[in-house]
Amino acid sequence: MIARLLSYVFLFAASGGLFISATAIPASRFEKLGAGAFPKIVFAAMVLMSALAVIDALRQIPLAAYRDFSSQTQAWVKRRYLVFVSLAALTVYLLAIPLLGFSIASFAFLFGLQLVLMPRQTKSIVIAAVVALVFSFGLNWLFAEVFTVFLPRGVL
Amino acid sequence: MSDFLSGAAQILTLSTLICMLAGSIAGIVAAAIPGFTVTMAIVLTLPLTFAMDPLQGIAVMLSVYVGGYTGGLISAALLGIPGTPSSVATTFDAFPMARNGEPGRALSIGIWASFFGTLISTVVLIFAAPPLALFAVRLGPWEYFSLIVFALTIVASLVGTSVIRGMLAGLIGLAISTLGTDPIMGRPRFDFGIEMLQTGLPFLVVLIGVFAISQLVSEVEDADNVRSGRSLITGAIDFQTWKVMKEVLMRPINLLRSSLAGVLIGALPGAGGSIANLVAYDQAKRASKTPEKFGTGEADGIVASEAGNSATAGGGLIPLIGLGIPGSAVDAILMAALMVHGISVGPRLILDHGDLVYGMFIAMVVASFMMLVVSVFSMRLFLRLTEVPKWLIVPVVMTCCVVGTFALNNRVTDLYLLIFIGIAGYALRALGYALAPLVLGVILGPIAETNLRRALMTDEDPTLFFTRPISLIFLVAAMASIVWAVHNHIKSRKPTERSPDAPAS
Repeated sequence: MIARLLSYVFLFAASGGLFISATAIPASRFEKLGAGAFPKIVFAAMVLMSALAVIDALRQIPLAAYRDFSSQTQAWVKRRYLVFVSLAALTVYLLAIPLLGFSIASFAFLFGLQLVLMPRQTKSIVIAAVVALVFSFGLNWLFAEVFTVFLPRGVL
Repeated sequence: MSDFLSGAAQILTLSTLICMLAGSIAGIVAAAIPGFTVTMAIVLTLPLTFAMDPLQGIAVMLSVYVGGYTGGLISAALLGIPGTPSSVATTFDAFPMARNGEPGRALSIGIWASFFGTLISTVVLIFAAPPLALFAVRLGPWEYFSLIVFALTIVASLVGTSVIRGMLAGLIGLAISTLGTDPIMGRPRFDFGIEMLQTGLPFLVVLIGVFAISQLVSEVEDADNVRSGRSLITGAIDFQTWKVMKEVLMRPINLLRSSLAGVLIGALPGAGGSIANLVAYDQAKRASKTPEKFGTGEADGIVASEAGNSATAGGGLIPLIGLGIPGSAVDAILMAALMVHGISVGPRLILDHGDLVYGMFIAMVVASFMMLVVSVFSMRLFLRLTEVPKWLIVPVVMTCCVVGTFALNNRVTDLYLLIFIGIAGYALRALGYALAPLVLGVILGPIAETNLRRALMTDEDPTLFFTRPISLIFLVAAMASIVWAVHNHIKSRKPTERSPDAPAS
């Protein structure tokens, strides 16, 4: 609940800031509404809605929840460590694509992430290697040869 | 009659039917991959049809079109990831139904609903193309803006467990749509000095990031579950095609209403399957005696979404055939294909090339039967997907998402946006925000802004939104929709408040 409250506060601050930025967008001579009008409407609504959400959350959160917030967050993150490993692997993979090219980066990502997630058995490792090959080099070949869509080749 | 027979003779040849079958399979497979849209599949098909006769080429593209609207259902039902924007609403009930141990039923309902939706839209196309096309083009920016205001009230159906968070998610979607240059004057705004934000966030990247990446990483939340080699869905898979057909036909009003909503939305230039499935779902939920069951694996939800999106295929052809105006990107590509063959599309199309128009109608019907046959026979193959362990399927589908994102614009920067949006999507999901209103906001934001500003550029008088009859009807419908949603919300809270055992919200 406190994490939600923080998200409402973040949205309140961000939408307030963006509303102010939108007021700085110059009006157009050619139209009644300028480029800033629609964003102003949206961000004003967001400010209002997130303010309501903050008030609602403050009303509902018991005092004890603030005390336990840090320990509960740590426990939540610990339980979901594979989520963070997967997101980190995906980030590294996407950053590596322009350098290594689609095929090599995809093979490393697929094989590596499967190794992290799989039950460690010889059969699983062989399957993971074959799947990684098919969906990296095979997919690249399919797109290039059949669809004439060229996936990134890399610079290294 | 001679035009009809000539069109039929051209379609019902072995070579055309084989090509259409291949098109149908290609459409289904392409749309099942997250990030690959029906439009993309049609674009890839276009060069292959240059060597064919005009009607044969169009028939193949229509097969891809019809197949594509059904293909999105596969990943929506089995993985909870909409294969295309037009199957967002399918995930709401098909995915829970599949997770409840009925993936075969979820897919079969979707396939039959798509089939009947396409057939109904073809019938409407044949009989009502000219008057509907004339109605669609008479709408000005005032009517479009009011229509979008009405469509935004769908958020009330999609808010999930919290109205405030649902509304905030919708507003986040609208806020995302304001990134990059403004849609009327091209003035830069909210790019924060970051080059890749200058063109805004591509809608499909948002869809893949918010739905696909967040869903995939949430599959690995339970480490023990993943490491044990558990598959996505456990238990025996029941697959009773004919029984499910009856189940779909037992919902004639939902089927008809959703199909007609799809036809009407498809006929409006600029709208399409991405809006039609959500509108049809919303209307089915509102009309249901048990709206609280929607989102938990309700068959009515799948029927509405799939009939609605598939019916836009016929609806989109209405302004194309009636007036020569493409209703969507796919229709524009079909139009381009006809022009490549030297056929000018316009109000005289039906007079000058009657055989071609009747041939297109027949091709739509044949394509929907082919889609049905291909889907029913390939269903067991797709259902095997649910038996694949999570440790294998999560990285593979992530790679498919990456390919789909890159292939969209051939831009590496879209990949960086994908990871940022994916992380944000997972955070929102973990915090209990409904993701569907966000996507709805991203779809409707640019259409709303463009029409609002265009209306006031044409005439500065804002009262025109209320004095033009069709615009007024949409605004009254929007108001009624909000009143209905508030009434339902209050009604659903009353028993909880009365119950002494009810937990605090």
